[in-house]
Amino acid sequence: MIDDCKSLHIKEVNEVISLRAQKRRRIRASIVEFLVFTLPLLVFLSILYGTLVWNVYVSMADWVSTAADYTFTGLKWYNYLFSQGRFWVDVQNNLKWLILGVVPTTILAIFLAYMLELAPFPGVESYVRTLILYPVAMSFVVTGTIWSWMYQPERGVFNTILGSLGIDSPLTYTNNPSTATYWLIVIFIWQYLGFSVIIIQSSFRTSELQEMVEAAIVDGASRLRILFSVILPNIRAGLLVLVSLLLINTLKVFDIVWIVTRSGPGIATDVLATNMIVTAYDQRLASAGAAIGVIIFLLAFILVIPYTIYALRKWFE
Amino acid sequence: MKSKSPTIKIIVLLVLLMLTFVYILPIYVMIMNSLKTLPEIQQRTYLAFPKQPQFQNYATALFGSKDFLIPMRRPIINSTIITVTVTILAAFFGGLGGYYLSRTRTAFARVIFVLVGIALYLPYQTVIIPLTTITARSGLANSHLGLILSYLIINLPLSSVLMGTFFLGIPRELEEAAEVDGANKIQIFFRVISPISMPAYASVAIIIFTQVWNEFFISLTLSTPKTQTAQVAMAMTQGSTISPYNLQMAAALLTVAVPLLIFLFLGRYFIRGILAGALKG
Repeated sequence: MIDDCKSLHIKEVNEVISLRAQKRRRIRASIVEFLVFTLPLLVFLSILYGTLVWNVYVSMADWVSTAADYTFTGLKWYNYLFSQGRFWVDVQNNLKWLILGVVPTTILAIFLAYMLELAPFPGVESYVRTLILYPVAMSFVVTGTIWSWMYQPERGVFNTILGSLGIDSPLTYTNNPSTATYWLIVIFIWQYLGFSVIIIQSSFRTSELQEMVEAAIVDGASRLRILFSVILPNIRAGLLVLVSLLLINTLKVFDIVWIVTRSGPGIATDVLATNMIVTAYDQRLASAGAAIGVIIFLLAFILVIPYTIYALRKWFE
Repeated sequence: MKSKSPTIKIIVLLVLLMLTFVYILPIYVMIMNSLKTLPEIQQRTYLAFPKQPQFQNYATALFGSKDFLIPMRRPIINSTIITVTVTILAAFFGGLGGYYLSRTRTAFARVIFVLVGIALYLPYQTVIIPLTTITARSGLANSHLGLILSYLIINLPLSSVLMGTFFLGIPRELEEAAEVDGANKIQIFFRVISPISMPAYASVAIIIFTQVWNEFFISLTLSTPKTQTAQVAMAMTQGSTISPYNLQMAAALLTVAVPLLIFLFLGRYFIRGILAGALKG
């Protein structure tokens, strides 16, 4: 009897202990989970955002030589930038990039992706994919090197080819200050077209959209009609993604300009990103350079807001 | 929705022809002229085949000569060390971070996700001055570590989101079954999730590898003569030191060879990575 009681009591105590142990084990497990899964990401993110905040502070300091100077000067260097003609040349050029780097690329990508859907040849899709996507694997440094040779007015590839066809080409490509930026944008479009087609294609390939297209074909709608009234309204998400990615990449553009024209002729093709490196590292105006960095960040931030909201909804749906 | 109309056939053929010309031309010019002699280049028959392929041009581009002052050997080794290390670390930590983002539904996780989302598109110009200061002060500037750390910090958001996108596609039943068997999250991640996510790791590794190998802005500002990357050396052949076109093209081919081969042979993973990066799953 006593033994029974004792064993019962022990059982209860054991249960309480094991419950506590379970709880403790669960807490310990979630701490370990936090350390393994969350902490590395948090640490790296904190460093990244730390450098961002640091940079914002530098832009409001008075750092003008190799030695850092953190005296607070407010918006002094922003005002300095706004008073420079070069800054406004950059803004104009960046606008050209934003519009001409994004709109034609998107339209061409839609056209090509739709063409691949319609094309009645076997194997055409994998051929075109490889053909136009390979530049994604190449750096702008290499692409820019090749293209700047092709663009050369006297000894370049394009004008040589035109010459051998009997055409005395008047084109001077990136040597002409008023059109140079446009020729640079052509390189960007060439490089990003394959990437854009892939993204548009994948948004064509949803079963709902395919069904709608089939229904429209049965109803006798024309191919063009189907594109404009069935497909385009239904790939808005894909378009949002593509346009956002292209906008960001044209806003950040640096490599092509640096390699092909180095902001020239004069500063005709200068953009914010190239001005930033010249200001911060050649002229040693670190605070002014940091200010350009902040301006690029703010523009990028505004441009990705719709995309981030979309991504957040999609991720946590 | 294949079409049988002859007009569409003709349009498609014309477009294919144009695309082929526009996309083959640059790489054709690069390869053909990298195999020519300088006199051949000066004849300006850029589209012709080389009379006698000059394979030693690649050796000259690698080791340098009096005509080519930027030997690519060291920069390519530097790029390899930096890129491979960053790729491995970014894929590993990206897997961990991505698993967290894809399996947690708390408000805190949402905040982290937004921070990661913004960091994905953070312009490098915005962080370059602090990164320069950190690497200079900590003495990392003269070793590969400075560039490795900088690239890791910048690429971890991308690799986390990419891995997370793939993890979202893995059915939860798998993990629940393992949980019933008494496995904890860490065991589940390393023994159940990771092994079946190898294709995802491959995609992420390829995307990060290509991105880091091809990156120019950060390596231009952070690399020193000792850690100079292939892209920076390549840019020098274009800048102050004018190089003969045949050797410059040979150097260009050496610079793009690795990512281009990866693309040609593992294009599938490449495309999957691009699509995951666009959050299209």
